[in-house]
Amino acid sequence: MNKASSAAMVFLREGLCPGLTDEVVQALRAKNIRTVVDLVSSDVEDLAQKCSVSYKSLLAVRRVLLAQNSAFPVTGADLYEELLSSTAILSTGNASLDKLLDSGLYTGELSELVGGPGTGKTQICLGVAVNISCELKQSVLYIDSTGGLSANRLLQMIKAKISNAEEQMEALRRIQVCPVFDVFSLFECLHHFRSTGHQQFLAGGSSVKAVIVDSVSAVLAHMLGGRQTEGMSLMMQVAGELRTLAKDLNVAVLVTNHVTRDGNGMIKAGLGQSWSHTPRTRVLLQRIERPGSTCSSLRTATLIKSSRQPCYSMEEFDLRYWEQCEEKLHGLQGKRKQVSNSPG
Amino acid sequence: MQRPLSSFAFAPAVKVKLINAGFHTAADLCDLRPLQLSKESGISQQEAVEVLQTVRHDASQGAGAGSRMTALELLGREQAMGAIVTFCSALDSVLGGGMPVGKTSEVCGAPGVGKTQLCIQLAVDVQIPVCFGGLGGQAVYVDTEGSFMVQRVVDVAKAAVEHCSLLADDAEQREALKVFTVEDILSKLYLFRCHDYVELLAETYLLPDFLSQHPEVRLVVIDSIAFPFRHDFEDLSQRTRLLNGLAQQLAQMANQYNVAVVLTNQMTTKVGNGQSKLVPALGESWGHAATQRLILHWEGEQRALASGTCSLLTMLRLTHLRFRQGTLLSASAPKQTTTRLEDIWLKNNIQLF
Repeated sequence: MNKASSAAMVFLREGLCPGLTDEVVQALRAKNIRTVVDLVSSDVEDLAQKCSVSYKSLLAVRRVLLAQNSAFPVTGADLYEELLSSTAILSTGNASLDKLLDSGLYTGELSELVGGPGTGKTQICLGVAVNISCELKQSVLYIDSTGGLSANRLLQMIKAKISNAEEQMEALRRIQVCPVFDVFSLFECLHHFRSTGHQQFLAGGSSVKAVIVDSVSAVLAHMLGGRQTEGMSLMMQVAGELRTLAKDLNVAVLVTNHVTRDGNGMIKAGLGQSWSHTPRTRVLLQRIERPGSTCSSLRTATLIKSSRQPCYSMEEFDLRYWEQCEEKLHGLQGKRKQVSNSPG
Repeated sequence: MQRPLSSFAFAPAVKVKLINAGFHTAADLCDLRPLQLSKESGISQQEAVEVLQTVRHDASQGAGAGSRMTALELLGREQAMGAIVTFCSALDSVLGGGMPVGKTSEVCGAPGVGKTQLCIQLAVDVQIPVCFGGLGGQAVYVDTEGSFMVQRVVDVAKAAVEHCSLLADDAEQREALKVFTVEDILSKLYLFRCHDYVELLAETYLLPDFLSQHPEVRLVVIDSIAFPFRHDFEDLSQRTRLLNGLAQQLAQMANQYNVAVVLTNQMTTKVGNGQSKLVPALGESWGHAATQRLILHWEGEQRALASGTCSLLTMLRLTHLRFRQGTLLSASAPKQTTTRLEDIWLKNNIQLF
């Protein structure tokens, strides 16, 4: 499936396609044909006469440009086949979360964790990275913009799953870490990953199956609002980059976001309405406000946006899940509550 | 797959001119000279030179871009960076070895509980020589409240030197003690005084240059970050934006220059549901700013500390801190279970977030 080129104003340049030499470009420019749209929408015969360029070569250039810049339709059946063969579902490692997410994170899609400070977004991201590295033996790219990533913590979680020191090191090697603290470094990191990075892993026997960005609001929130003009456009660029990354490289993208309060004091996800269209799935994390609770690492996860599951279903889980062995946890499996028509 | 120009860190005006002139991706610019570029797009020659430099630098970076590394390499780096020990073993164990270098930490507390004292302690502890288990580094102290008093530093320094000389038992340590005197400690502490938030923001922009000129600095303290932002701010959303931007810059600085950044914050009262709670100031979104949040509070006659968001998932731990003769000398961790901790929180009406 081809994508249409970006930008409506693609200027004609030498080398844009074979046959478009410098003289042709200059001749066209002299007759006020500057962009691809101008060339394609004008009469070729007329143009060939006016610019004294050969009709055949101009026609060939036009055909190539049209082919380069058009989108080709794909049948639904082909699309479905492609999805079936290429989509993978990555378990998060936590059974309650998997239940909420319809068995886990889907490749080709963007999922989002939303929550206030200390609700466990970073811990879940670390747990997912460790699970993909240890259980699924695949690589992960972890983009950290808050400084909350600690390799010691990763090792702690890995040790709970793997006892062999050599394999622990192997699991750590499969997690690629990239600290970025502003949106331009984020673009740089994503761009480099797309062009060269992901191939490195293919050589090592495991491919990158997930990209985790913790958190996307830390780099974007302060660029929005006030009299700043670039913020929105940068945010939508980030959205576009992450989504095309997910689709083209067949990875699951997991991002974290902060929460704000709306006019009535209700909690809502940060970065506004425009960003809310970006993730396919959105999970809200909250602390449990139970006075007699013995464990302060319990959280609830509420599904607030999903194209597959009914919304507002809630699961409880323990943040220490990822560092405990399977047997100990059967007692702590969450209770499922269906909350309908709740504001979340 | 070429990188679009809009994803580079150019000024918005420059970007608009470049895009209007027909340059959309980095590839469009690669073969141009600055004069050509400035003529075609209408930007100044200086700007053209900068643009081309950035684009070429990015293209030549290749696969080993910037600071990407595996978690294994990060582990090695974290272990090499170490932590600032506070000479108080219970506090150090709660912090996971001490104040982590390379991360931002926040210390919150009501007035008089000892935030400045803790910061002064850290500024001295970071200078402890390596052979005694310290980092042998220097410290930067940004004072926004005017609560920094040299006499307090002298007290803490004297106690630290005394403590070390009692510990010294081999030639190397005795040698190190010769350059670890009160005068040396004071000379390695750089003090910056900021009177309002504009000066603080400016200082944060200038600090990276200072840190690259003084690579020995291992600690940056900002005492306090709340004070300049809490009064005379009409536009609260602007305040949130400025604070978030500041948090990112500090996190970047901590990561890039291998320093521990310690911020102090004040407490404010949150009223709701018929009761009032003490919460850290500067709003809910500020809770995301620091990697680690420590809250000092009064527990009857004693001080106690609890850790909030913490990367090592050590949940609420309570220690009784005692400041004796101006230095942090002892603390103890009670043997209660966490249920009792929750009661204590509720009793003191303190909420972490």
